[in-house]
Amino acid sequence: MDAFAAFFMVFTDLKLLALVAAGTFAGVYIGAIPGLSVTMAVSILISFTFSWDVHPAIALMIGIFMGGVYGGSRTAILLNIPGAPSAIATAMDGYPMAQRGEAGTAIGITTVMSFFGGFIGIIVLALAAPSVSQFALKFQPRDYMLLAILGILLVGSLSGESLVKGIFSGAFGILIGMVGMDPLTFTGRFTYDLPLMQSGISFIAVMIGMFGVSEALAQLHHLDSAAVKQKISRIVPSFGTIKKYLPLSLQTSSIGVIIGALPGTGGDIAALMAYDHAKRVTRKPSRPFGKGAIEGLVAPETANNAAVGGAFIPMMTLGIPGDAVTAIMIGALFIHGLNPGPMLMVEQPDMFWFIVGALVVANFFMLIFGLTGIRLFTKIVEMPRAVLIPMIMLLSVVGAYAVNNSITDVYWMLAFGVLGYFMRSYGYPLGPVILGVILSRLLDDNWRRAIISEREDLGRFFHGILTSPLSLALFLAVIFIFFSQTPLWTRLKAKLLRNKNQEAQ
Amino acid sequence: MKHLIIGTVSALAFTATGALAQDYPSKEIAGIIQWGAGGSTDTVMRAVTPHAEDVLGGTVVMQNVTGGVGAIGLNQVASAAADGYTLLMGAENPLLYKVMGLGQKDYSDFVPINILARGTPILVAGKDAPFDDYAGMLAYIKENPGEVRFGSTGPGGLPSVVTAMINAVEGEQDVIFVPYDGDGPALTALQGGAIDVMPAVLGAAIEGIKAGAMKPLLVFEPEAVATLPDTPTAISANEGYNQYLPWGPFFGIFVRTDTPAEAVEKLTAAYKEAAEQAPFLELMSNRGFTPLNISGDEAQAFLDDWQSTTAWLMQDAGLTKASPEDFGIAKPAE
Repeated sequence: MDAFAAFFMVFTDLKLLALVAAGTFAGVYIGAIPGLSVTMAVSILISFTFSWDVHPAIALMIGIFMGGVYGGSRTAILLNIPGAPSAIATAMDGYPMAQRGEAGTAIGITTVMSFFGGFIGIIVLALAAPSVSQFALKFQPRDYMLLAILGILLVGSLSGESLVKGIFSGAFGILIGMVGMDPLTFTGRFTYDLPLMQSGISFIAVMIGMFGVSEALAQLHHLDSAAVKQKISRIVPSFGTIKKYLPLSLQTSSIGVIIGALPGTGGDIAALMAYDHAKRVTRKPSRPFGKGAIEGLVAPETANNAAVGGAFIPMMTLGIPGDAVTAIMIGALFIHGLNPGPMLMVEQPDMFWFIVGALVVANFFMLIFGLTGIRLFTKIVEMPRAVLIPMIMLLSVVGAYAVNNSITDVYWMLAFGVLGYFMRSYGYPLGPVILGVILSRLLDDNWRRAIISEREDLGRFFHGILTSPLSLALFLAVIFIFFSQTPLWTRLKAKLLRNKNQEAQ
Repeated sequence: MKHLIIGTVSALAFTATGALAQDYPSKEIAGIIQWGAGGSTDTVMRAVTPHAEDVLGGTVVMQNVTGGVGAIGLNQVASAAADGYTLLMGAENPLLYKVMGLGQKDYSDFVPINILARGTPILVAGKDAPFDDYAGMLAYIKENPGEVRFGSTGPGGLPSVVTAMINAVEGEQDVIFVPYDGDGPALTALQGGAIDVMPAVLGAAIEGIKAGAMKPLLVFEPEAVATLPDTPTAISANEGYNQYLPWGPFFGIFVRTDTPAEAVEKLTAAYKEAAEQAPFLELMSNRGFTPLNISGDEAQAFLDDWQSTTAWLMQDAGLTKASPEDFGIAKPAE
């Protein structure tokens, strides 16, 4: 079987086609429910598909993966509860759109853009996988650390009104991420010898509490106000709209592929970085960011779906997982008698082309399932609050429990929900908290690895940063972005551009 | 009301007399995997269990309960009923919990159903490392003290044990230990040049070695392994390794002590047969594991031996929080 036949295998085999379709459909709904994750679904499938052939098993998993990454945006837009960590940034502008009665438009754009981002990811996987994976391998601990610092600087973008409160929230998130047994030395941190604290605080529980429960509590204030009427005149965005966002979506998709291909980072960080990028490069957003800007939807949704293709790059070329889901798929390939590793592409190129083909099919099904049934979904937002709020609470409790089948996580979730409500009431943004939790380990572990590698010598550490082109580029980016957020830079820029275009400032 | 009382009494009698064991398994069995989805413990358990289900004629629902180096999952099984309906699917780590101060329970609170397989430790170097063999590595470390970077996975992990063996046999090596979350991420870092040497399990490194992305230095086995016949064994490099080998991480399935004998017997028989299935054996050999498939006293002896060797090695390396002596772990015979 040559590459061509392997690529079209999914297109021509009705059974495989149906499996990818079923997987994608299930994935959209698994992804939409906070706490039911793609990772969980795929690991259950390993046992379930044990006696199957490798092709149908992988086809089903790929469908779920693709659908699930997209599905997270549904609840983010409709209820302000991201179904998955990679949809956190989507909620920032998607939910305000739903509040204006534009949920249909928001979902339509999200779907088309996810499709677009997914395709960019697949194209890069198909055409440039070996060179991208070589590039990804070049990332040293210090580069991951610089990447995490770049991520921390996103606080500025996610803060809203007060940067100081944003920084507080971000620092609080980093602190939450540190609780538990330190994985590098097995020493307890902030555990106070309580067994409860030893395994740390589940990140998903924090996310569901902060977004789900606090949202439900906040909604109680508006119990009597009428629900927003949704206008669903136009779901599929016009060609003109797509063309308008093409340059941005190409940039954010590239961010998604690269971040997805890095073994230490996944779709969640990719989506947040893309959101920040959009905020930085868009001069005149359709609406201010955070108030329902289309750009704020386009960026994270292209990036997180592009990260799917990206995650397969190190998996297929090196046998190294690009994220948690591909880690399980590697296990599945092992069980089915394949040996994922650098030799897989050489010994079994068919498998590679089969996966690329399945991804393409899954991406199409995602578009189809995404664009149908929107009318029904938008009805959720039109429901009376007396029904909606208990539903959000129920989803939150089920979701938090399902992550680890642990009732402790439900308590954490509820506690963070109440805390989130008060933070919200006093103007502390919640996005930076989640950002802090996501980046906490990446920053902490890699800083320690980097400095330990240099014999705990700061001089050697900076010598390393300045002599490696990759590290230097990341370091300069950190410095630039940092200064571009200080008043000094604004004044300097205003002075420089005063004569040119005053109104742009 | 009368029916209710009769119902309750008979239900009590039913559970109390262990009548359940007669037709074990009469309900779903829970399998608690100590490690995360996609890891080697997870892969091994998900590969062997479907065969065992066929023999048992029941269902085993597997679930990953991670955290605390596997202690969270172990404690969950330890606090479940000793009825044979909750299995612990774990690796070697719990045998070090007590000395490492990670928990009060270990496999002595459990009965081994099956020790499925043992891994082979191997020392690999990055393809750009300035040495090509074990002797070259030792010489390079001597000439460049404090420069060579070893990957590690925290105290008690395979790299720390292998490093302790090297230090015990060859004398203290002046190298840097860079901690990673597991051997997967560390081997990735090895290929990217962030670390120079990594003690890993053969299965995790074999594909990278075949592709020429890493150099095998030494296998920690008494005899050469079939997949890498040209790589020298530790014993051929230094006789001193003889006292520790064979040694390696392992995978096992356990139930609580006091589990009804019938359940233990049925589970043991089921997993024994499952571990003999050709697809499972093929998976094991592909990943470089040595199938053991031992149970009962033989498995217990294996566990005791492993614990004694490793705990004392850690103690002598100064990595323990409490002496193995405090827990009645015998010193290995010289």
